[in-house]
Amino acid sequence: MLARDMYDFRDELDEKGIIFCYSGYITEAILSGIGSALKTKLALEHEERARTRSLFAVFVEQVQNVIRYSAERIPEGDDENHEELRYGVLIVGKSDEKYFVSCANLIAQEDVDRLNKNLGKIQSLDAEGLKVLFKQTLKGETPDGSKGAGVGFVDIARRASHGFEFDFTKVNDTHSYFCLKAYV
Amino acid sequence: MDNISIEQSERSPGVEFNFENNSFSLKGESYPEDVTAFYGPLLDSLEKHFDASNGAKISFTFDLVYFNSSTAKILMGLFDMLDEVAEKSDVTVTWNYEADDDNMEEMGEEFGEDLEKATFILNEVAIV
Repeated sequence: MLARDMYDFRDELDEKGIIFCYSGYITEAILSGIGSALKTKLALEHEERARTRSLFAVFVEQVQNVIRYSAERIPEGDDENHEELRYGVLIVGKSDEKYFVSCANLIAQEDVDRLNKNLGKIQSLDAEGLKVLFKQTLKGETPDGSKGAGVGFVDIARRASHGFEFDFTKVNDTHSYFCLKAYV
Repeated sequence: MDNISIEQSERSPGVEFNFENNSFSLKGESYPEDVTAFYGPLLDSLEKHFDASNGAKISFTFDLVYFNSSTAKILMGLFDMLDEVAEKSDVTVTWNYEADDDNMEEMGEEFGEDLEKATFILNEVAIV
């Protein structure tokens, strides 16, 4: 039954067009490893270079979001100077001729509103609007609670040639689950 | 100041800073684990050098094929620094992009359009 169960699982992923599926603690080394396998796969299939670059860029921003912001972490609590691991789910696939990168992780309830508004605003902008926001964000001070440039989502939106979707589901009083799926 | 030469890696660009000739370049991909750890010391050494150089002929070349958003923030700061230096020195910034890379061309335009004093060259190069 071991092989049968795993084959069924693999089949289910395959039916959804899933190329990579990872659930667990995500590290920078995992980003490098999966990223390089992804590039190799696309190169072997002679995918357009521009598309490969866009997909890779979306992948990097999504994975770094999990590594930096997932609220599911060990050790718990906020101590930025110590080694830590953050948990997330990462899926890269292709269906209806579109590649997608889907990432999900736990976030604090108090961050839902801000993130929801922020992403809603980004989603409503056209290419020119995204360009302006990208630059504004790069020039401004890094927003509170951000370890990167705070510009990752804008970058995802600019590279996701077929847009992105996102939503939240409440898990308990203190946390929600957040998922973002971008199409290239 | 001693020249800085860092070999290109999968996640960080090759760095060639020749302080004597005032020739500087970044080449390759940039999505280091920790952008501050990678770029912090480099930017510090540039700042120190530029503070002490007046009327120099400075050339900075970017040969990047990919950078993440955290690197973009660093580059924006670097462009600001170079434009400030251009008030008292002759600064030329060259942004090379591969022929089929519209995104990298656009990034070059976006960074370059903010340069008021420095000379900016947006340059298409053949695909390697």
